[in-house]
Amino acid sequence: MKTISKLLLAITFAISVTTSAFAVTVVSWGGSYTESQKLGYGDPTAKATGIEINWVDYSGGLSEIKAQKEAGAITWDIIDVYAMDTITGCDEGLFVEFDFDKDFPAAPDGTKASKDFFAPMPSKCAVGNILYSWNYAYNTETVKGTPKTIKDFFNTKKFPGKRAIYKGALTNLEIALAADGIKAGKGGAKIYKALDTEKGVQRAMDKIKSLCTDPNGGCVFWSAGAQPPELLVSGEVVMATGWNGRFFNAQMEGAPIKQVWDGQGLDYEYFVQVKGGPNDANGKALKALAMMTNTEMLAGSAKYIAYAPYRISSIAIMEAGEPWFKDGKTNMVPQMPTAPANTKNYFLVDPIYWADNGTELGEKWEAMKAGL
Amino acid sequence: MSSETQKILTTDGIPLEVSLKKAERKNKIKAFLLVAPLLLFILITYIYPIGSMFTRSVDDTMVTNMLPKTFKSMEKWDGQELPPEEVFEAFYLDFRNLVDERREGKLSTQLNYTKNGFKSIIKKLRRKSKSFEEGNYKEQIMSVHKRWANVEYWQAIKRRAPAYTGQKYLKGLDMYKNDKGEIVNVAEDRRIHRKLWLRTIEVALFVTIFCFLMAYPIAHLLATLPMKYSNLLMICVLLPFWTSLLVRTASWMILLQQQGIVNDFFVFIGLVANDARPEMMYNKTGTYVAMTQILLPFMVLPLYSVMKTISPSLMRAGKSLGGTPFTSFWKIYFPLTIPGIGAGCLLVFILAIGYYITPALVGGASGTLISNQIAFHMKATLDWSFASAMGLMLLTGVMAIYWVYNKIVGIDNIKLG
Repeated sequence: MKTISKLLLAITFAISVTTSAFAVTVVSWGGSYTESQKLGYGDPTAKATGIEINWVDYSGGLSEIKAQKEAGAITWDIIDVYAMDTITGCDEGLFVEFDFDKDFPAAPDGTKASKDFFAPMPSKCAVGNILYSWNYAYNTETVKGTPKTIKDFFNTKKFPGKRAIYKGALTNLEIALAADGIKAGKGGAKIYKALDTEKGVQRAMDKIKSLCTDPNGGCVFWSAGAQPPELLVSGEVVMATGWNGRFFNAQMEGAPIKQVWDGQGLDYEYFVQVKGGPNDANGKALKALAMMTNTEMLAGSAKYIAYAPYRISSIAIMEAGEPWFKDGKTNMVPQMPTAPANTKNYFLVDPIYWADNGTELGEKWEAMKAGL
Repeated sequence: MSSETQKILTTDGIPLEVSLKKAERKNKIKAFLLVAPLLLFILITYIYPIGSMFTRSVDDTMVTNMLPKTFKSMEKWDGQELPPEEVFEAFYLDFRNLVDERREGKLSTQLNYTKNGFKSIIKKLRRKSKSFEEGNYKEQIMSVHKRWANVEYWQAIKRRAPAYTGQKYLKGLDMYKNDKGEIVNVAEDRRIHRKLWLRTIEVALFVTIFCFLMAYPIAHLLATLPMKYSNLLMICVLLPFWTSLLVRTASWMILLQQQGIVNDFFVFIGLVANDARPEMMYNKTGTYVAMTQILLPFMVLPLYSVMKTISPSLMRAGKSLGGTPFTSFWKIYFPLTIPGIGAGCLLVFILAIGYYITPALVGGASGTLISNQIAFHMKATLDWSFASAMGLMLLTGVMAIYWVYNKIVGIDNIKLG
């Protein structure tokens, strides 16, 4: 009996050591998004490399990893973060700096990794994962007519009813200027040039304010990604900005909503590797990361969610494999925020601009909201 | 001789006094050892974190040490116009050192806290400074980006010179110390923290009042009903207490939104017109309703525990002495429940003042409270010193309320259960 219990103890210890010390811990946002990552490239990578991958949920931000580092007990290897967090974390020395072409494999046609990404990385610590869109959708049952442009989102005469917008300033200022008549320019460069001046910021704030105080309009501020489709379906608002993947899921479930891509903001999710993480020195974290972000693997995640793989070369794999969605009948390429039909008028959310000005704009935004 | 004979000795010849003291000391050590784990626990989990929060909020030695030459050369600069060449040169030398140690990123984060816009110009400076020629650094740095030629950015750097500073506390009140040493308000369109403090206190105060108004009758019923019914009622009070906070918040959203169940019902019975449904969600009403319901058990339970101990014969005695039901309630019952009211109100107020998820979800434009701001600086900007400062300000506020309560009611007069 005693030997058995000792043996059991030894086994549990061995298991706990293996899972904690050898599995690569990848931290992401949870829900259907983590599911798409796990099924799309996590599991295939684990199978191909033999590296066990352990998925952990978090709610964003860098406070946990900073606290882990300060306490000297880092347990995370790879984190899925916003562009702005890659900049802040890289500056703080929390993440590993990459040598892209050396660390990440080239595309199947031989294009170097650094040339295969949809946009340049915001920092040396980031490797692209997906692109998602801040677009808007409307309820086809309560809206009479068909909104087509970002101007229609602000047109309360033609399309009366409340709008749901994100609770923070991020992307709201950009769409306000786009709707106010500023041409986006290449990747939204002209919008950000306008936002670089006090006057431009004021103009954007005024535009939002007039939408929210309009008796025919009015604003509901959403904070969680699940809210926009819900607000649309319940009839609480007639139009809502939101993340295209959430709208797509609601559509697949039969919700009467339609997405509008004009004036969309393309935004990114990145992976970063934690400096001094449990699998940093042994190279396993980088090995898993390089595999997960290669052309084929990234295409895999788009099977489960309507977010675009960061690598341009992944699209070809999806096109060849249509219908690519997991239900086996939905074509995914037209659902991608990067599809040519969806990128006629768009802006790339500029992480450097927001890293620079985020705090002050946030204060101005809250002050504006307090006056509503 | 005489004093020695008077001393009482124990059997082993040691004076009784000494022997007693020895035994007492032993007991004292034992008692202390018994409390020691608790004391240690409080020190480690309470006193130490608050202490480190305080140092974090005032300690600015990191930036002071990053730019030693710059700050030294800035001592002679009056801060009115662009600094002279020597400041630029000193800054360049400090900056080269930081780049070599790969710490310029940290500097950019820190300076960005003081004034937004430093992040990108420091990145740009790092790239460009590799090809700088010797001499005339003012011109070279200023040509990197127009903000380097803006005196406000140099004033912002100068503001970071002191190793210890209360700037973060001023920032929490929308103020800052300018170059002349005067404390002034920030630009009007950025004054947000004072508004948020007031809003937070307002929300917490009203939620406490609503909780009290609703909980008092419930607790009274609970305490006076026969066991059979009061148990059922108790479960009704506790059931939501065990349900997830987010679930409860989401249910209120479904109930109260304009196309929600309550409004549907109002329209159905003809109380309001279909196109004039009242807004009960995404404004302060929503916040009050949801938070009151969520925090109600924290008011009911202390009140109940106090009311349970009040003998019903007291009220009967009051009535038999000729008091109307109201007089006997007001003169006898109510004063006896004050310990419960105090405990409940303090508990609800303190919990409400730190709430932020519920208001963020149901409060609409008014849903941002001071804790949202603390969380934002903890998670997004990583400005932990500012978050610490605001956290301590919140703590001080709570302590002040506790102090006022102690002065008015007396802290011994509190009963939690």
